[in-house]
Amino acid sequence: MWKDFCSLFKKDCQMMIAGKFFLLALGSLLLYTLFINFGYVRFMKAELYHVYLYDPQGTQQQVSDLVYPVTSLEELDKILVADATGVGIDVSSGTPDIILYYGSEKVDRHRADYAYSLLHTDRGYEAKTVGTNTPELKQRKEISCELLFIEIVAVGFLGIASVLFKEKQMGVIRVHAVLPLKKSLFILSKITVFLLSDLVFASLMTICNVGFTSAIHILPAVLVQTAILSVIMALAGFGCTMLLNDFKQFSLAYLVIAVFAAAPVFLAANTSIKMAWIGWHPFYQIYMALKNAYFGISVTTPVYYLCSACGIVVLFLMIQPAFRREMGKEG
Amino acid sequence: MIEVKDLTFSYGKDKQALHGLNFTVGDGEIFGFLGPNGSGKSTTQKILTGILKGHGGKVSVFGQDIAAAHTQDFFQKIGVLFEFPYLYANLSAIDNLRYFSSFYPAGQLRDIEEVLEKLEFKSDFLRKPVSSYSKGMRQRVSMARALVSNPKLLFLDEPTSGLDPSGAVLFRRIIEEERGKGTTVFLTTHNMMDADLLCDRVAFISNGNIAALDTPQKLKEKNRDQRVTISYLYQGKREEKTIEIPELEAGIPFLHDEIISIHSEEPTLEDMFIQYTGRGLS
Repeated sequence: MWKDFCSLFKKDCQMMIAGKFFLLALGSLLLYTLFINFGYVRFMKAELYHVYLYDPQGTQQQVSDLVYPVTSLEELDKILVADATGVGIDVSSGTPDIILYYGSEKVDRHRADYAYSLLHTDRGYEAKTVGTNTPELKQRKEISCELLFIEIVAVGFLGIASVLFKEKQMGVIRVHAVLPLKKSLFILSKITVFLLSDLVFASLMTICNVGFTSAIHILPAVLVQTAILSVIMALAGFGCTMLLNDFKQFSLAYLVIAVFAAAPVFLAANTSIKMAWIGWHPFYQIYMALKNAYFGISVTTPVYYLCSACGIVVLFLMIQPAFRREMGKEG
Repeated sequence: MIEVKDLTFSYGKDKQALHGLNFTVGDGEIFGFLGPNGSGKSTTQKILTGILKGHGGKVSVFGQDIAAAHTQDFFQKIGVLFEFPYLYANLSAIDNLRYFSSFYPAGQLRDIEEVLEKLEFKSDFLRKPVSSYSKGMRQRVSMARALVSNPKLLFLDEPTSGLDPSGAVLFRRIIEEERGKGTTVFLTTHNMMDADLLCDRVAFISNGNIAALDTPQKLKEKNRDQRVTISYLYQGKREEKTIEIPELEAGIPFLHDEIISIHSEEPTLEDMFIQYTGRGLS
């Protein structure tokens, strides 16, 4: 059985090389690295929220040095128009009222809390630094995680399809029906090739963009989450390829997956859009586990791993009949 | 080697493909399965090779019920040539054959290059990708794939398709050689010449039923026309006459200067097929 698996694995590697899949992955890695190092980290630096205080009666005594006093409401208005992330505090009525000109619901709450905390330095409201990440490292980890997720969900998924559709067109899948080998090895070999390719990609992506020293600590956890996502996507790609007739149909199915599976995850995780059901979305759980892995927080709940394992087994069992049907097809 | 009793198969509720086939194939026999497209030939072959499951009736291969026979051991003993040359286009002939043969025990395998040489494969293409091969060359590599594992039972689907006449003659010779070694051959075709020249027995299949089963010779003899047509020269003029065969016993029963040709009116296998099934093969 091991010999059969090695033969299949070797052939799948040859197919991947012939299909220029490695070049595509390498190109993606280069593009992402250039984007992170020369674009994202340089131009997406989030500035601190500036807090402006209008307190004509001088009621606030323990104000932080980070608060900028203004002398009139007109001046406060002018500053807030110019400073999009700024927070104004109007204490002219005796109680502090928060003024925000731009923003969204979730972020506003953070900004308001931050502004209030600067008014009460005596009560221990000063912000604490959580973890050892510098703002740049935090940015690097966040964007690396997002791009790795996109790469596996999108490019990896399309990769297995491109290799399998070639085999379908050549008809060679049918030959495997009469070869003396366990048919499930054919699926396992494909999944292994793409899993290894995704693990190498995740390692390089993390090392190149997070830095070797930081990467070495988080890499084991990142690779575990990458493996879970990679196997699920490869199995889903395998199933879709077996069920659909050509790459055109597959592209349509891919769009559906992108719109209904990946998009809500990004929206829920990276914007203020609320989706009450998102906790039930399997990709959301994997995405958050991957993000936590990047920040050194390992997912320890066995339910997550149990559900992932069950999902993988169910997908594996589901694609078997489709694979057998493809083997029995006529020219 | 193969025993089929009341074999039925349906692709759906209303798509009955086989309606109770009965036949046997003996050890070392070349058995032809003849029928037009959609007659049930490929379905039968798929059942026998274990690709299709869910048939009715009793099928046994190598003396074992087919449902239990589809083990790795079973697949090691069979060789299958598909209707189309299914090969990895980006790999060479050698790499394709190395890959496919890697699943068989090493002691069972023939030398790949030797098999290809026997099939008159152009040696300068051995290491070039299959995508650069002609249809005939691909068919040779596919045949090599079926033969390289030294199978005891060979399933051949349209083996001479895509070959030029000399290639077809070569393939027929190789099939004969395989039979000479004791290999049983299940030949699925609608090429009457292949069936006539190669098969010990043929079955005519039409609409999922076997319409006739016998040796090609007997099938033709049963319906033979007892006449011959004689072309001859008489007083400088070419003439032609058709007479009953018994009339020849006392010699040519008419005046002539020179006999040019004598043709028996023996029907072809295709004539027989049409007679039994009411339809042509193509």
